[in-house]
Amino acid sequence: MNVLALEFPPVSHLFEWPDIFFSGTAYAINKTVLIYMAAVVITGVIFTLAGRPKQSLVPAGIQHVAESGIDFIEESVVLQTIGPEGRKFMPFLTTMFFFIMFSNIFEVIPGIQFPANSRMAIPITLALVVWVIYNYVGIRSQGFFGYLKNSLFPPGVPVALYLIVTPIELVSTFVVRPFSLAIRLWANMVAGHLLLVTFAVLTQVLWSSTYIGAIGPFAMLVLMTGFEILVSVLQAFIFTILTAVYIGGSMHPSH
Amino acid sequence: MLNVLAQTAAGEMVEGLKAIGAGLGYGLAAIGPGIGIGTVVGNAISAMARQPESAGMARTTMFLGIAFTEALALIGFVVFILLLP
Amino acid sequence: MSQRRNRLAAAPLIAVLGLVAFAGPAGASGESVGGCMAEHLAEAVEENHGDLQETLHDEEVQKDLEKCFEAPNPILPETNEIIWGALSFGLLFFFMAKKGFPAVKGAMDARAERIASDLDAAEQAKIDARAVEADYQARLGDAKGEASRLIDEARGAADQLKADLSARAEADIADMRERAAADIESARQQAIADLRAEVAGIALGAAERVVQSSLDAEVQGRLIDAYIDEVAGSNG
Repeated sequence: MNVLALEFPPVSHLFEWPDIFFSGTAYAINKTVLIYMAAVVITGVIFTLAGRPKQSLVPAGIQHVAESGIDFIEESVVLQTIGPEGRKFMPFLTTMFFFIMFSNIFEVIPGIQFPANSRMAIPITLALVVWVIYNYVGIRSQGFFGYLKNSLFPPGVPVALYLIVTPIELVSTFVVRPFSLAIRLWANMVAGHLLLVTFAVLTQVLWSSTYIGAIGPFAMLVLMTGFEILVSVLQAFIFTILTAVYIGGSMHPSH
Repeated sequence: MLNVLAQTAAGEMVEGLKAIGAGLGYGLAAIGPGIGIGTVVGNAISAMARQPESAGMARTTMFLGIAFTEALALIGFVVFILLLP
Repeated sequence: MSQRRNRLAAAPLIAVLGLVAFAGPAGASGESVGGCMAEHLAEAVEENHGDLQETLHDEEVQKDLEKCFEAPNPILPETNEIIWGALSFGLLFFFMAKKGFPAVKGAMDARAERIASDLDAAEQAKIDARAVEADYQARLGDAKGEASRLIDEARGAADQLKADLSARAEADIADMRERAAADIESARQQAIADLRAEVAGIALGAAERVVQSSLDAEVQGRLIDAYIDEVAGSNG
């Protein structure tokens, strides 16, 4: 794409990475896959180090990261949306939060600067896992027909309105939910990456032509990098809390 | 004007219209969620100011509301990405 | 037990879903980017008689390679990324559910319990200390009371003693004064009697000389008594 003599790379250039290992097979490894693996390793190392038998009374460093993450998920995700009986989902939600957060945060790590979740693979996979989990929980706690009845025919609605409400609920609960969950994460990361790339390209072009003109886009680049750190963590949080909300909704049908 | 249009290759025309459509689509899709997120955050802040002791709950609910509202803008963004060449 | 079986049953369900939903579209969108690039590059290098550097700078070849990037739709997930991503997440979840999460959470709970028990112990110690302090205060109060009682007693004894002493002294003084008054009275009586006898003698002598024998002894005595009474009455 060529806008105002400004060579902007095609969108697919920003998100598709050439294969590094096993090129051409279905098991090809590219930058995205390496970032997923890095997120796994970082999370694993943090929790291994934090779970060592040698514990200090006042948590510091890595132990503090792991513990405040668990605390955060317990206090402001599980207890507020599912309730005390949601504690059995804590390992899943914690894993999801840390995995998504670390794959996102590579967006601002210098030299890597690519949010792995701007590829649809993990968002859609996790969203489908969540879909399976909340349907399973709903069927388990209310029975198959009870769950269908509660989710398709919400109580307190005039009978005539079911004509409209039921199809909407059917589509929104069983079809749209996983996709909106996946797209929310994916699109936020894509938008953030595009934003950073836009300002980086602008800075580079303006620096090579007029040195002073680069100040504006560079300031925006710095600002946006800070903002993207926030977005990375926030999107991990939102993915986790929405999962908890869906699970809680199928566990307690009343609301 | 007509001459210019006639000279333009049909393919480029389609590309240009796509680009305009993508831009307009995303812009229009962002209006509603923009207003919506403003309402959500404003009300959340006034709730927090009125009852600082329940600020944590208000904040969590605020993020949920933002997430649901934002989905509409993101669908517009997805259309924008899909329409880009 | 049945919960574990259910969990195990969920895994293939997810796998099947993933295959059904995504293997199709991702496969249909063509081969992966890397494969496409490698293929095109190999062809071009062969055309250019094996000069890789020159081939890479050829604009035609670059455009050709770019097509590989533009082919897939950015919203569709790639098969290899799904496979590796799901594998990574599954592995991480397995590790976290089995080891990482219970270890950290267990340590946190144990610490919370320990802190709670420490706090309880501290509370108990505080209660004990308060009891000891109350005991001490009570004992201190007793001692203070005892001391003030002793002081009061001593003061009372001293007052008593003072009162006794002064009463005795007053009694002695009164006694002495009484005795002195009695002495004075008896001395006065004595003096009056002596004086009367003296004056009687003197007056008798004087009157004898004045009247000489004109008066007999009986009249003389009457006259003298009258005179003495007069003198005593004026002396008072």
